[in-house]
Amino acid sequence: MSAEVLKYTREQVEALEIAPGTVHENLEGWIPELASDEDVRQALEKAFDYRGDVTLTLKSGQKIEAYIFNRIPGATLADSCVQYFTPSAPEKRKVSYADIARLEFSGKDRAAGKHWEDWVKAYNEKKAAGEKNIALVPDALE
Amino acid sequence: MAIPISQVWTVASYVWKQKLKGVKRYPTVLMLEPLFRCNLACAGCGKVQYPPHVLKRMLSPEECFAAVEECGVPMVAIPGGEPLLHPQIVEIVNGLVARKKYVYMCTNALELKKRLHEFTPSKYLTFSVHLDGQREHHDYAVCREGGYDIAIEGIKEAVKRGFRVTPNSTFFDGTDPNSVRAHFDEMMAVGVEGIVLSPGYSYDKAPDQTHFMGRARVRKLFRAILSNRKKSWKFNMSPLFLEFLMGDRNYDCTPWGSPAYNIFGWQKPCYLLQDGYAGSFKELMETTKWEEYGVGSGNPKCANCMVSCGYEPTAVLDGFLSLSGFWGMVKGTFSTYKNKHAMKQLNEWGTHAPASLVQIANSNEILEETNA
Repeated sequence: MSAEVLKYTREQVEALEIAPGTVHENLEGWIPELASDEDVRQALEKAFDYRGDVTLTLKSGQKIEAYIFNRIPGATLADSCVQYFTPSAPEKRKVSYADIARLEFSGKDRAAGKHWEDWVKAYNEKKAAGEKNIALVPDALE
Repeated sequence: MAIPISQVWTVASYVWKQKLKGVKRYPTVLMLEPLFRCNLACAGCGKVQYPPHVLKRMLSPEECFAAVEECGVPMVAIPGGEPLLHPQIVEIVNGLVARKKYVYMCTNALELKKRLHEFTPSKYLTFSVHLDGQREHHDYAVCREGGYDIAIEGIKEAVKRGFRVTPNSTFFDGTDPNSVRAHFDEMMAVGVEGIVLSPGYSYDKAPDQTHFMGRARVRKLFRAILSNRKKSWKFNMSPLFLEFLMGDRNYDCTPWGSPAYNIFGWQKPCYLLQDGYAGSFKELMETTKWEEYGVGSGNPKCANCMVSCGYEPTAVLDGFLSLSGFWGMVKGTFSTYKNKHAMKQLNEWGTHAPASLVQIANSNEILEETNA
């Protein structure tokens, strides 16, 4: 976060015609190398931004399928942790960066393929085919 | 301004109490998100991109009440997801009303008409209905043909039953200001209390990151929309915030003004950005690096933001805590903002064929920005 601050001057911001959006990497299926402390920090930052579940393998061998909704960075990996929900437990849980051996972006990216242009294309095709009550429906929860 | 005097008084006295107590940072409205599940699948929505097990989670009424008590706000907005999908939403709303909080219950109104009998009209309860413009514009924006008609039925029934109702519109790049003005006419004819509007924001988690206006374009659009107002139009917003959207005022963001609480905790730093979560309101206020956010910070994630949750608190504080702001609020309430140049721009704005993709058409149109 801090590294991005002061990227724009006030004058530049006020003159913006189009807002530059975030460019999302295609992370689904990615297994980052966690060789250094910096590798771990960067990978977990991406996991925090990811819009799907990941699989954490701990140094104990335990595997956790989780949605990471928060990260709390500290001075060392042992001082840093991620907070997550799992599909089967009701409570928030957390694990230290230092305990994580492997990270896999195993779950579906829930925003992928949902661009405005995708909707426009689908709408035009359905309209041309004479369909009525055209709509996108939310993903099933099961 | 359409906001009832009792609500204005409640907010004004709250703001003054904070000032007299010497509180430097305090919120004015809590954005309480009891769930993220929704019954619409709007392309580009940045609020519901979660795995199913997260979408199934909900805040309990007790968690909602505790959050409201913890931050002490006089007003609570309940967005989501679609709050009417929460099985205990009536209990949540009734509990907040019993605490004399002014509740803005946000809904896409797909379920509103059939659920209205469960709610009781109150000066503390407003249904804030998501309606992004006229029929074809709204249906395109929410990716559902027929969505507008269902929402309008809900609005009409709510008005008939004596509820406070405000349509809540978000506008993206390519919006036709003439259509928005026609939408205002239609809404006032339906009998709503006042209109709520905001430019869109490029949510970091949104699938679509390309159709958001920068600040210069926001000012052009809103100057065209909000100048030369009809006397029949009423807005459920601070007049100073509307002047900010039109480019008549420069404000900095008050990111702590509308904190968000949801199943993850207290969202840092604001309702729009997800830069982490705090376990308590106190932790949110004390550990967030506020200087890293807002337009003045240069943070690119705040670059296009002119959204009400950050800037309306600034306008509200200006209106209640400074003489010039208060006078501006009084003047703004009664002004029609006559502006020949804006009228000319409005008349020259590209017209769109009914079947065009209304939210994104003519997105490269460049018009001169003016404060004339």
